[in-house]
Amino acid sequence: MAATSTPGTAAARATRFNPRVLAAGAAVALPLLVVLLLNLRRDPHTVRSPLVGRPAPAFSLAPVGGGAPLSLESLRGRPAVINFWATWCVPCFEEHAALTAAARTQRDVQFVGIVYEDEEARTQAFLQKRASSYPSLMDPEGRTAIAYGVFGVPETFFLDRGGRIVEKHVGPLDSRTIAALVARARDGAR
Amino acid sequence: MVPALGRILILLALLAASAGALVGFATGARPSGAGWAWARRLAYAFAALMVLANLVMEYALLTHDFSVGYVAHVGSRSVPTWVSLVSLWSSLEGSILFWGLVMGAYIAVATWQNRHRYPEYMPYAVGMWLACGAFFSFLLAGPAQPFATVPGPPIDGPGPNPLLQNHYLMIIHPPFLYAGYVGMTIPFGLACAALLVGRLGHDFIRPLRNFLLLPWIFLTVAIVLGGWWAYEVLGWGGYWAWDPVENASFLPWLTATAALHSALLVERKGVLKGWTATLVIATYLLTVLGTFMTRSGVFNSVHSFTQSAIGPTILVFLAAALLFAVALLTVRVDTLAAEGRLETGPSRDAVFLVQNLLFVLFTFTVLLGTVFPLVVEAARGVQMSVGRPYFDKMSVPIGVALLFVMGVGPALPWGHATKEQLRRALLPPLLTASMLAVLGFALGVRNAWTMVALFFGGFTAQITLSEILLPVRQRMRARGENVLEALRQAQRRGRRRFGAYIVHAGALLVIVAIAVSSTMGSSKEIQLREGETMALGAYALTFVNADRVAEPHRESVRARMDVSKNGRSLGTLYPRMSRYESQREPIGTPAVRTSLTEDLYVSIQNIDLASRSVGLLVLVNPMVAWIWIATAVMALGGLVALVPAWRGETVAVRVAVPSASASAEGSR
Repeated sequence: MAATSTPGTAAARATRFNPRVLAAGAAVALPLLVVLLLNLRRDPHTVRSPLVGRPAPAFSLAPVGGGAPLSLESLRGRPAVINFWATWCVPCFEEHAALTAAARTQRDVQFVGIVYEDEEARTQAFLQKRASSYPSLMDPEGRTAIAYGVFGVPETFFLDRGGRIVEKHVGPLDSRTIAALVARARDGAR
Repeated sequence: MVPALGRILILLALLAASAGALVGFATGARPSGAGWAWARRLAYAFAALMVLANLVMEYALLTHDFSVGYVAHVGSRSVPTWVSLVSLWSSLEGSILFWGLVMGAYIAVATWQNRHRYPEYMPYAVGMWLACGAFFSFLLAGPAQPFATVPGPPIDGPGPNPLLQNHYLMIIHPPFLYAGYVGMTIPFGLACAALLVGRLGHDFIRPLRNFLLLPWIFLTVAIVLGGWWAYEVLGWGGYWAWDPVENASFLPWLTATAALHSALLVERKGVLKGWTATLVIATYLLTVLGTFMTRSGVFNSVHSFTQSAIGPTILVFLAAALLFAVALLTVRVDTLAAEGRLETGPSRDAVFLVQNLLFVLFTFTVLLGTVFPLVVEAARGVQMSVGRPYFDKMSVPIGVALLFVMGVGPALPWGHATKEQLRRALLPPLLTASMLAVLGFALGVRNAWTMVALFFGGFTAQITLSEILLPVRQRMRARGENVLEALRQAQRRGRRRFGAYIVHAGALLVIVAIAVSSTMGSSKEIQLREGETMALGAYALTFVNADRVAEPHRESVRARMDVSKNGRSLGTLYPRMSRYESQREPIGTPAVRTSLTEDLYVSIQNIDLASRSVGLLVLVNPMVAWIWIATAVMALGGLVALVPAWRGETVAVRVAVPSASASAEGSR
């Protein structure tokens, strides 16, 4: 394109180099391009939770179908996986099997489901049909979900032995991701 | 079959645009009648192919042909026909196709209109336009691929984003935005042509200005339509959030507005030529930046489309366009020598300069706030948002200063103002200024910035009105015409000036309405059970009941709210919460009762049919309706200023020099 800027017509005036324009243009254009380039691979929809690295918010919730409440304190001493889910959430079905299988094989880790914005009867029916290897807790009025800053379901928190949140995963989990994140929860926070 | 046809049309468009760009540049450098004829033919061919490709896509959407990739992605048999029709611009790939249509239309019109004029400039301009057209065709042929073939097409598709199905404004906001965005390609091409030729006289500034004004009108309307849509659909009660993509549409508007003003100085005084070309080029680059922001997935926003190869491709184009622009300006800007001198004393000239600098400052402020989170993310890996406080803090003083300048400028004479002239120009408007401020105070305004905005608003309003009426008064006095006849004659003879002041009147109203609505509102969040009543200001709202409404593509729960003000019934509002097929998150639709003084805004936060309770966000927003009205006034003013210039050269000369209008009028 530079070739076209050399005067071809009689009317075109001579090219004159203006270093100030070049400097000003470069000062605006180059940083802008660098910043945009560096951010190209970023997914803005993953919001890092400020809770990671901190003690998990306490809760004490009744399991689906009734029974003695389960509290966060009772999970101390072993790593835990807290999965927020709902029966109306399609990705939650997808990860349910993987979570159930993981809870069966990894006996030293406590898996807990917390039901997000759903009715107890529907949840119970769902669990009976699909079978589950870990407790799911009702969260009336979504207080625990709010305390954990849950944005949508599924979201899963991985806690170390001391009850600290080591990792937060947004979206459905598969077996490999569960294994990797549970391993980090076992190691504890670095 | 249909996908293949679409792909062939896109490839032909790419071919026409690339060849036309080359022919255009070659003809610009080495003028030839045949070259220019071919450049034009290829421009028309590009436009025609884009129209055809869009028609094919519309056909596929309306016939639910799910073998077309884009239709499988956004189409659905369960949506109403109008939704299928507008699905063309509801998602990423289709919107780029639509973009091509708008671009083709602009290029064809601009080429046709100037086919016998500006023989030195036009080949370069067509070359630039088609180079841009070639890029978008490439985007459609490669990374975007709306016409990709779907093997084993699905029986039904998911339908477009429910947010876009929710309100009729979504039918018109994107076309206006594209007409604004894409239209900036035309002045960009003209400015580059002026730089390449090395001349920007007061003849060529005219098409530049007119083709800047047309997309400017569309962009102005589009920005406000977007705000209106957010207000009517998103349910948080506001119209502007400094969302990165809102900023993306605002940035080119700022530079285009600055360029429209500096073009006037080019025309009248022969100064600021290089500066005006720079502003026009910057406007185009900012539209490309905005395109990148919306389509790359780098920014998180209601507007952002999902990630794809399109983002990187647009970034490459942005980089190429930026570097080309900087190189072109570096070697050519000095060829646009000034013919006159800019007065620096107290004068309209100086105010024009201040106004331009304010707009550029505004542009940098918004650009910095938009990009800064990305800098922090890249440098420290920390996510942060600059958010409203920064933008509000920065934009309020600039906006108020612009409001003031909009009054001072027109009040001052060109050249150099004497002390006496200054006194006579600037003292009388203080009357309306004080009146409006006192009125505001009496009505309860306590916010300092709102008071300042009212004061300057009154100041500028008086000057603007007297400028609109000045020729009318002169005619009435000199010729004894009645008010209506004088108004009609005066606006016919000085339409550009008349239109410009109407735009100013609209703009000042927008600024005042924003100042008042953003500081004088009240709101309440409340949980109500059936039969309960809440009060906010003079309003009382009773939650009568909730019911379910089923439509083919969505199911809604709506709350029936009886509304009264000061005990007098105002009827019923139905805010609703809708769940669309194949979407898990429900979407609220607020109910808004609009009046000239204030809006009552009712939005559902949560609703439960079983327990018969509803969580509401209720707001009283004063003067919001005036933002929409004033925008219509601005658009109208823009059209008034544009139309005579559109009719032909002689009219344009006539309106350019008001003092010569009588003789030009006689020659018609």
